[in-house]
Amino acid sequence: MISSINPSVKGISILIPGILLSLAFDVITPLVFLIFILTITFLFGDVSIKRWLMFFAPLSLFALGLAWTSMLHTNEKYSGGELLVDFWWIDITTGSLQVGVSLALRSMCFISLSLLFALTTDSTKLMLSLMQQLKLPPKLTYGILAGYRFLPLFKHELDLLRQAHQIRGVSRKKGIRARFGRMKRYLIPLLANAIRKSERVANAMESKGFTGDRNRTHYHEMRVRSRDWVFLSSMVAALIFAFYLSYELGYLNIFGRTF
Amino acid sequence: MQRKPLIKLKDFSFSYEKKQNPILQNLNFSIYKGESTLLMGGSGSGKSTLALCLNGLYPEAVEGFSSGEIYYRERNINDFESGELNQNIGIVFQDPESQFCMIRVEDELAFTLENLSVPPSEMRSRIEEVLKQVNMSEFIESKIHELSGGQKQKIALASVLLMEPELLILDEPTANLDPLSSLEFIELIGELQTKIDMSILVIEHQADDWLPLINRVIVLNQSGELLEDGSPSEIFTKETQRLENQGLFLPKQYTGAPTRKRIPSLIKNAQPCLDLKDVAFKRKNKAILNHVSFNIHEGEFVAIVGQNGAGKSTLLQLMSRLMQPNEGEIKLYNTPLNDWTEKELRHVTGFVFQNPEHQFITDTVYDEIVFGMKLNNEPDEKIESVASNLLRAFHLTDHKWSNPFTLSGGQKRRLSVATMLDETPGLLLFDEPTFGQDAQTTNELMKIVTELKMKGTSIVFVTHDMDLVDIYSDRVIVLNEGSLAFDGHPDDLWKNDELLAEARLRKPYRLEKAGEAVDLVNQP
Repeated sequence: MISSINPSVKGISILIPGILLSLAFDVITPLVFLIFILTITFLFGDVSIKRWLMFFAPLSLFALGLAWTSMLHTNEKYSGGELLVDFWWIDITTGSLQVGVSLALRSMCFISLSLLFALTTDSTKLMLSLMQQLKLPPKLTYGILAGYRFLPLFKHELDLLRQAHQIRGVSRKKGIRARFGRMKRYLIPLLANAIRKSERVANAMESKGFTGDRNRTHYHEMRVRSRDWVFLSSMVAALIFAFYLSYELGYLNIFGRTF
Repeated sequence: MQRKPLIKLKDFSFSYEKKQNPILQNLNFSIYKGESTLLMGGSGSGKSTLALCLNGLYPEAVEGFSSGEIYYRERNINDFESGELNQNIGIVFQDPESQFCMIRVEDELAFTLENLSVPPSEMRSRIEEVLKQVNMSEFIESKIHELSGGQKQKIALASVLLMEPELLILDEPTANLDPLSSLEFIELIGELQTKIDMSILVIEHQADDWLPLINRVIVLNQSGELLEDGSPSEIFTKETQRLENQGLFLPKQYTGAPTRKRIPSLIKNAQPCLDLKDVAFKRKNKAILNHVSFNIHEGEFVAIVGQNGAGKSTLLQLMSRLMQPNEGEIKLYNTPLNDWTEKELRHVTGFVFQNPEHQFITDTVYDEIVFGMKLNNEPDEKIESVASNLLRAFHLTDHKWSNPFTLSGGQKRRLSVATMLDETPGLLLFDEPTFGQDAQTTNELMKIVTELKMKGTSIVFVTHDMDLVDIYSDRVIVLNEGSLAFDGHPDDLWKNDELLAEARLRKPYRLEKAGEAVDLVNQP
């Protein structure tokens, strides 16, 4: 199961293909890799399809929009080939079509890579692993963890502020200036309280003997096991395979250069 | 007998800014092993600051300035390594929401052990052991944010107990808890005292429930000087006037139960002011309120009580149209609430929030008070006269041009009420307005509320303080798990032991004294 992979290794396993894929301008490489990610997401990720689609659908819609625009405004360097569509002001060549489709597929790769990470990683374990494997300072690690607990409190407080201000009649004023003034009025009490709360948490943490020293024991020892290496290597292997297949089929295109 | 002190303060002073008046001034006292000390002082007397000075966090953490010395076991606290002293002096703080950095109970407790570099193999058993001590064993896997306030405080206590401190400082640990959870927490401390050998320093301005546990009282005055130091019986009988001058609640054991001042409404055969019929409210398919019906008459003081999560705040928000009910109807003066224009509605009703800061929207006290009148385009002469009357009545004239955020707790509370009173409202809703306030602020607020009631304003008061309910309310409404469990005279509620236990309510002091209600907690 992917949720049991060490979060730091998982992060690296996702960053490597993320960076290398952005070089591939052809269609086949991202397509092959996308199929691979989707397969492991649903075979080993233990992710509900409904939840996955909830994130994937809106994000990929945005990616498609981006791809459409770049297809219409492709750099001349890439927009060679036959003219496929010439309608009013829209003209699409095979070159620009390839750029557009490739961009769309690459964006979907990034989206599904990110989701593979986000939906299978526990935030506490991620921070602990960053501290234990990648040497993130404990002060930062536990600071972020403590901050994470604040998010729902923040929302609750904003709701209360809105109500309190509505009682005072603030929301009756209309216009951009009034709206701006309202934001400013929320900001001061919100910040004042956030500062107070974070001071309190810091005091509580230090009162429990926390000093920020790296020399501490770990209740959850985050180890890098052999299965983590298997995951990392299979991600890289799949990426190499995608590039290779594309090369064999004669499509491989890196930064506009075909091989 | 020459005892060695655990902690000794010698001419200790502390200030946040070099040139400011010190928060703590020339403190000289010692705390000995086995002592259980109550530290009292009005708001702003520096009690909490002292706690953080004792365990060595201040002055470094805030870049404050201190003079004089503090010794722990005859060793200057400045000579301790960072983190070392904290392990001997544990603190449980007031706010249950801001004491944790992890999501799960187990991880939070492990955090303390990790700080102490305890080997991981021992951790699980020590965590289980300490949870047993605080009666929270079944919550080891729970997420902290899903626990109640009382449970959170027990976890905060457990994580401090793991350090096996010699001195346990409790900084108003029950101030944010409902009355029964608060009593449970205090009884837990009493239980631990018999099992574990440690000294206790309790910081609190409402001492009643702590009295059985403590054997010494230290009082600080407003300028952070030592005012009293002695045994509870000595201080609470001889020095009562000096304590009251500091705005402190004297334990009722010494003052006797407060007298009832319930004032009959001046308006006879009053009309209903607010009328709720079958009001229901759901959040994410979870019923918060189930078909609640009641009405409030003109000039009536109605208290709404119930444990946290019973739906009290939601009910208040529906009554003020801050939220819409899913079912049912609410009428204000026989007109459906939704038919009122926003302007008119806010004119005849007011709402005082638990945290006064939430209500402040301008930069000066004066602007706060005239804000509503300016919005309604009242004539200048009227604005001036109403404003100066309110400033005078609420003792805020001297602070006319201060920023509301810089006022003291009591002044903020008064200002938040004053902003609702540019016209005498027909209905005024209060959401736990006395929460965490000292005796003086509470008394001032209740005086204002009583005056408003005499003028015919209907008052709705959400509160945990059963003495306030007993003294001031004409009627009390009990909410339990979203349903109306009681609607009637407070005296009838106090007779209904079964309901009180079910809704986790305590009786007012004058009745609890009879000695039966204290055992509420121990009932199955």
